[in-house]
Amino acid sequence: MSYSEDLLNRQNADGGWGYHGGGSWTEPTCYALLALAAGDLAGSGAARRGIDWMARCQRPGGGLAPRESVAESTWLTALALLLPAALYGGEDRRGAGNWVLAQTGRESGWIFRLRLWMLGASPQDSFAFDGWPWFPGTAAWVIPTALSILALEKLDREAGTSHFKNRIAQGRAFLLARRCKDGGWNHGSTKALGYDSDSYPEATGIALLALHGSREADVDRAVGRGEQHLTMCRSSEAANWLKLGLLAHGRKPDAPHVPEHGTTMETALSALADAALRGRNLFLES
Amino acid sequence: MTGRRDPTNPEGVGGLTRRQWLGGAGAALALDGCGRRTEKWSPVSIHRIQTYSEDLYDLVRRVINEHGVNIRGKRVVLKPNLVEFDERTVINTNPKLVHAALEAFRAAGAAEVRVAEGPGHRRVTLDLADAAGYFSTIPRFESVFTDLNLDQITRTSLVSPQSRLRSLYLPNTVLSCDLLVSMPKLKTHHWAGATLGMKNLFGVVPGGVYGWPKNVLHWAGIDESIADLHRLFPTVFTLVDGIVGMEGNGPIQGTARPTGVIVAGASPVAVDATCCRIMGLDPARIGYLGLAAGAQNLDEELIPQAGERIESVAARFSVLPELEHLRLPQPGETP
Repeated sequence: MSYSEDLLNRQNADGGWGYHGGGSWTEPTCYALLALAAGDLAGSGAARRGIDWMARCQRPGGGLAPRESVAESTWLTALALLLPAALYGGEDRRGAGNWVLAQTGRESGWIFRLRLWMLGASPQDSFAFDGWPWFPGTAAWVIPTALSILALEKLDREAGTSHFKNRIAQGRAFLLARRCKDGGWNHGSTKALGYDSDSYPEATGIALLALHGSREADVDRAVGRGEQHLTMCRSSEAANWLKLGLLAHGRKPDAPHVPEHGTTMETALSALADAALRGRNLFLES
Repeated sequence: MTGRRDPTNPEGVGGLTRRQWLGGAGAALALDGCGRRTEKWSPVSIHRIQTYSEDLYDLVRRVINEHGVNIRGKRVVLKPNLVEFDERTVINTNPKLVHAALEAFRAAGAAEVRVAEGPGHRRVTLDLADAAGYFSTIPRFESVFTDLNLDQITRTSLVSPQSRLRSLYLPNTVLSCDLLVSMPKLKTHHWAGATLGMKNLFGVVPGGVYGWPKNVLHWAGIDESIADLHRLFPTVFTLVDGIVGMEGNGPIQGTARPTGVIVAGASPVAVDATCCRIMGLDPARIGYLGLAAGAQNLDEELIPQAGERIESVAARFSVLPELEHLRLPQPGETP
C-alpha cells in the first residue's frame, strides 16, 4: 500500500486525522495533508475535506487550535502554513501568518528581562533571541521555533519578499544558542542547573531542517551529530526527521530499518522523507 | 493505544464519584482552629524488596490487599513516571513493577487496567517506552497503553487554584477511570526538591495541547501546579518504585540510589511525606506538600505507618547544594 493510500484509509469521517486512530487533531492532519501533497493529491477531495476540518480549528485571532474542542491557538499554526498555498490559502493563511508572527517566547519579553535584572540574575544568552513557544504566554523551545522559521520562510518565498528576514534570523540565532554540548538539540534545555543535557534525534532533525543553507561552523558539527543519531535511531519518526534535516544539508542519509507503531505521523513523515530523498522537500518549497 | 472513549463527566463514574471511591483519603478532611488535621491520613506502608525480581508480583498483590483496594469491576489506570531514557542512569519507573501492578489489579478483579503516561520532553512516547523496556517487559504493551499527551481531552476547571491556572485540558482516560494509580520513582528533583506521587501527575497534562515541555505548569508555579493537580485527583492510590531511586540532580541527571523499598498508600500527601523522610528530606520544607496539606499536617504522628519503619529503610539521598536546606536534621543536629 502506498503512503497516500494508507493515509486516505486513516482519514476520519470528519475530514481530519488522529494520531493513532481516535479523534482528529490538527498536527497529524497537517502532516497527512503535506504527505498527500507530496503524493500529488493536494487537489483531491480528501485533501479538501481535511482543509475544511482544519477551518473548524482556526480561531478568530488567526491561529489554529490543536483540536476542535480547544479554545486556544498554539504552535501548530506554523504547521498549517507549511501546506501549499493552493491548498490552504486566502484569509485563513494570512490570519495564521499574522498569528505566528505575533508569537514570541515569554522569556524574551521586556517584563521578564526587567524582572531578571531586578533580581540581579544574568539572563542566558539564548534569552536574547526571539524564538517561538508551544503555547502562548510560555517560553520558546526548539521544535516550535524550527517549524515557525520554516513557515515564515515559506511565506516569504511565496510572496517573493523578505519581510520576515529579521524574525527568521532571530529564530535561527535562538536555535544556535540552544544547541546541546554534543552538537545536537533536545527540547531546548541545554543545561539543567549547570549540568549538560543530551540531544534528541527528532529535535536535532527538525532543527537541522530549519537551519538549511546555514554556513555556520556550528551547524557542520550538528550535521555530524545528526548522522550519529541516525545510525543509532530506533524511532521511525525521529529517523525521518533526521533524514529531512540531513538532506537539507546535502547529506545522503542511510538509516537502518526501525520498527513502526502504525501511527499517522510515522506514515506521513515517511512519505515526506521519501519525497525529499527523491528531490522534493515539501518543507522547503514554495 | 486507545483514546477513543467518549468524554465522561470527570466528577462521576457509574454513579460513584472518584472522591467517594477510596473513602477518606482526603475527602472528609477535618481541621482544628489552627488548620491542623484532627484525623490521621490514610495509612502508608513500606515494604522491603531489594531487586526487580519475580517476588515483586506477590508483593504488589499483597500491598493491594493490605490497603483494602477494592477495584472489582472497576477501570484502573496505572500512571508510571516515564520521562526520558538514558542507559547510564535510572530515570523511569521500572517496567517490571508496572507489569506486577497490572497483573495484581487484574487478579483483584479490575474490569480494565491500562498503563498511561504523557512524557514531558519526548515527542514519541511509544519509542521512549520501548527504549525504557516497557515493550519487552509488558506483553502486548501497545494494547494496554494510552499516550496521555495525545488522548481525547476535556477542559476541566480548577477549584480554588493555588497556581495562576484556572482550567486545564485533561485526558479522558484519566478523568473517566475509577482508580488512578500514581507509580512514581523515588527521586530528588532539582526544582521541587522531590518528585513522587503528586509531581508524577504532571504527566497527565496533555503535551498535545500544552507542548513538550508542559511549560504552562512551570510559569503557573511548579509547587502550585502540583497542589492544583492534587486537588483535582485527591484520592489517587500511590505505589512508589523505591527499589532503585535517584539522588543528586534528579529527576533526569541524578545517580542511581538503591533503596530497596516499595511505598504505598491511598493518600498522596501521606505517601509523599513518608518518601521524603526515607530520602532524608523534611516534607514540611517541600513547597507543594505545604501548599496541598499545610506544613503543620505533615507530622509523622499524623501518618499511620505499616510494614517497615521509616528509620529502618531511611537513606540519606544526596541533594544539590541548592537543596541542602530541605534536609531533615540528623540526630543531634539543630533543626
